[in-house]
Amino acid sequence: MSLSAAHPMPDSLLLQARAGDRNAFAALVRAHQGSVFSIGLRMLSRRDAAEDLAQDVFLQLYRKLDSIESLEHLGFWLRRVAANLAIDWLRRLPYSATQPLDESAEVAAQVSEDDPLMSRELMRLLGELAPHPRAVMLLRYQEDRDVAEIAAMLDMPVNTVKSHIKRSLTALRGRMIGAKLIDCEELP
Amino acid sequence: MNEKSPGNFEDELRRRLRPIDAPEGFAERLMAALPVEQKATVVKPLAARPSLRQFGLPAALAASLMVAVFLGVRVANDRALREEQIGIAASQQLMQALRVTSQKLDLAYEAVNNPPTAGEEENRS
Repeated sequence: MSLSAAHPMPDSLLLQARAGDRNAFAALVRAHQGSVFSIGLRMLSRRDAAEDLAQDVFLQLYRKLDSIESLEHLGFWLRRVAANLAIDWLRRLPYSATQPLDESAEVAAQVSEDDPLMSRELMRLLGELAPHPRAVMLLRYQEDRDVAEIAAMLDMPVNTVKSHIKRSLTALRGRMIGAKLIDCEELP
Repeated sequence: MNEKSPGNFEDELRRRLRPIDAPEGFAERLMAALPVEQKATVVKPLAARPSLRQFGLPAALAASLMVAVFLGVRVANDRALREEQIGIAASQQLMQALRVTSQKLDLAYEAVNNPPTAGEEENRS
């Protein structure tokens, strides 16, 4: 959970971090580590890889703090770098498209106390999406970003983002109906 | 999951895709991995003594260039000398030809202006 949403941070924290204040930088990390780690985990389906990715993202941030203009820009920058880095890692490294079941269960248990089987299956189905649609879905439903922002983060046209969302939703619903996790008759 | 509309399905996705907490101690591990100084100081190396290896390639290139220029000039000079000699020879041949032609013309002129008399003709025959 992003702390910035619950407790808005002053821009002075960013200014202090830019001036070399390590405590201020640590506060920025704690505010955004959940989002960055979650993008990594749900993209790569592995906790160790997700932690490596999050660390890489924050190290890049540390080197580029001078280019960050505001806390809003910081949130945008972190999500953009995390999503694109994860897509890049998926291209280069032999991560499995489907995650190990024990980790999937662990993640599902963290997210939802009710119906962990459903969450686990959702994680698995999400992991079956191609990297770009998966990133789009995470930025849309995990990070609650609008399509224009997602398009800017992933360097793709807005219509492509909309198309990815529509097709991924259809695919996820279809697979969940196939797995009898949702009721077909209740769908419109 | 009871899905009655696409909106409900999307809400359910949002609920189930909430961000997860990072592992315990993530920020501390990250801070420990950060470099001590934020701004890396660029240390200029002391002026090193120029080594043969450092200048070997440029020196070889320069030497090759000088040899090429020298050979080029020499070849050009040789060619100019050869062409000059050919020109002198041609000039001498032309002068010789003109001299022969002039002598023949003199003989013809002599023959036209001083034709042989009848007695000379008879003596000749």
